[in-house]
Amino acid sequence: MTDAAVGGSRRDFVLRIARAAGVSPFAMGVLDGTVKAVPPSEETDFAILYAAIALEHHAIALYDACLKDNVLEGGLKRYAVEFRGDHMGHRDTQIAIVEERGGRPPAPPSRPDLGSLGSPWEAVQAGLEVEVAAQKAYTALISQIRTKDYLLSAAFILVDEVRHMTVWRRVLGLKIY
Amino acid sequence: MTVPSRPLLPGGEPPSRRAWLRAAALVPFALLGLARRNEAADYTSAAEVFDAVDRLEAELGAMLRALAARVPAARAFSRSLLADHETQRATRERLRRRLKLPPRARLGAGVAGDIKLSALRSSQEALVYAHAEGLPALGDPRAVDVMARHMVELSRHLTVIDLWIEGEGGGR
Repeated sequence: MTDAAVGGSRRDFVLRIARAAGVSPFAMGVLDGTVKAVPPSEETDFAILYAAIALEHHAIALYDACLKDNVLEGGLKRYAVEFRGDHMGHRDTQIAIVEERGGRPPAPPSRPDLGSLGSPWEAVQAGLEVEVAAQKAYTALISQIRTKDYLLSAAFILVDEVRHMTVWRRVLGLKIY
Repeated sequence: MTVPSRPLLPGGEPPSRRAWLRAAALVPFALLGLARRNEAADYTSAAEVFDAVDRLEAELGAMLRALAARVPAARAFSRSLLADHETQRATRERLRRRLKLPPRARLGAGVAGDIKLSALRSSQEALVYAHAEGLPALGDPRAVDVMARHMVELSRHLTVIDLWIEGEGGGR
């Protein structure tokens, strides 16, 4: 996998993963650039939270599948366990914020479309794709967040997503600095 | 000291099973979870955030320059990070003007003592956290967007340092 292979279709696969995860039309609009800015509101925060939770569900399902099928071994498996744990934390934090505000968080998809994960190579590549999608989504959406508590949480979640993405890039031999 | 640059999986093609097993064995255990966020700074204004970021960036810059001087293998890494700092600093200056804040205070080049990776990591982490904790105090969506993007770059740098430490046999 070359950097060009990731970069050339990055926008497409970010949108594909967001769509597969069930991200709302509003958040899709921010991601694909058709929605530039919206007035900060409780509704906007909910839309962002629902999109973020959907992406977290997708990432957890991906790592679950890799771990269940023993696709990854050794240190790579330990990274997958670590990253799944992070995503579970992100999911739970954001579900708690939604519930505290009286919303209804989206449930995980019953049959997520994860693509082929038959080899370690495919698993790491899929891991990188989902992390890039998450990083891009949080980066694009963060400035639309209205409330300070969620903005702070989203900032630290974004730091984690960058870590995951950078580790998988290094594993695949892509540029990291 | 070797800054991580080589791939753990060969690039371009899926690896052979042998290469795969070697790569898997090379990746050290990453500690679960991060004990952090307990001492979050409570910034109250954009000016305060920018001042903190400028100060922390200057401290980190001094360490990176000292590292580059002492460890030839770390020069490319240090140069890359310092170049990113320079770009971010210029962008922050534009943000300061846009938000009608006073310009950045003059900061000395700073003097770094004996450079340890753990100290470099702490300094990098402090800069990342200043960005994260500062976002809610900025009060301007454009500034949040810009500073969040800077934070993404700095978080990447932090991970490279983590991988470097792990490669040297240390944990996070």
